[in-house]
Amino acid sequence: MISEWKAICSVFLAAFLGLSSHGCNVVRITLNTSIAPADVSFIVPGQTTFAEVVAKLGAPDSITASDTGIVATYRFLDVKYSRVNFGWLVKPWTPVDPDLIFSRTGLGVDAFEVLCDLKWVVSHQGFQRHFIRPPFHPYPFQQSRVSAPHELPPATGPVIMATHESGNRRPLFEPHE
Amino acid sequence: MKRGHCLLGFLVIVLSLQGCAFSRGTLGDEVQSEVVATIQKGTTTKEEVLHLLGAPDRLLALNGRDVFQYYRYDAKAGSLLLIILNFTRISIKSDDLFVILNRDGIVEDVISSKRTDGLKFRFWPFGD
Repeated sequence: MISEWKAICSVFLAAFLGLSSHGCNVVRITLNTSIAPADVSFIVPGQTTFAEVVAKLGAPDSITASDTGIVATYRFLDVKYSRVNFGWLVKPWTPVDPDLIFSRTGLGVDAFEVLCDLKWVVSHQGFQRHFIRPPFHPYPFQQSRVSAPHELPPATGPVIMATHESGNRRPLFEPHE
Repeated sequence: MKRGHCLLGFLVIVLSLQGCAFSRGTLGDEVQSEVVATIQKGTTTKEEVLHLLGAPDRLLALNGRDVFQYYRYDAKAGSLLLIILNFTRISIKSDDLFVILNRDGIVEDVISSKRTDGLKFRFWPFGD
């Protein structure tokens, strides 16, 4: 009889703990397959043709014209969202439905661009944005992590690489110092 | 005693597993590989491409050439709704087809990829 009572108490305790922390959400959205620098290491500007790029990476998401040829863009996306509602902890003791929500969304948007000349030979290639995977954590007050030098993908020219003055700051020291 | 344990286990499972959800969304018509295979470089005309695939989703002018772009998006979402945590993962992939036409309106090149074939419902948001 006592054991059954303990079991029932344990169930209610587990249910209470579970209900009190209800409101935690972890969501992830991915668009296409991420392309890493290693996946594009085969591209040699001036030698690799656009057909070879397509054979390895598939069709791009968009092709646009430029003065010197075409720009093919491969887009991929990795969104991480996490949320905790601490208001649920006091819900049993208040007549209202309180909310104290911490949430954070990290957009690891990346695009890989290939610039080809009029003969469809790659002249430049590079990642449009820094290649950082956002972490899962709902704490919204922490500043975004600074890109480490080894996390920045190589690019063959400054034509495509974008400069980010906000979000990811420049490192305070040079990688080879 | 055994009955109590069974009841305990059942209640824990029921209380922790609130439900799960499968959702799906698509944008655009599927571009059939057989139809794409009938397009021949150097012979198929613009009119034949339009007859086979319909009007393009996007029309581009590329250094004197016309490019017809057809695309389709497929999204699959899996949600595991627990009392303690809710896990959701949404996977989106696209099929893209580019038909490049020369100045005479003849197909010069066809670039296509079908990524949606391997798209699966996933629940676990961590990892790759």
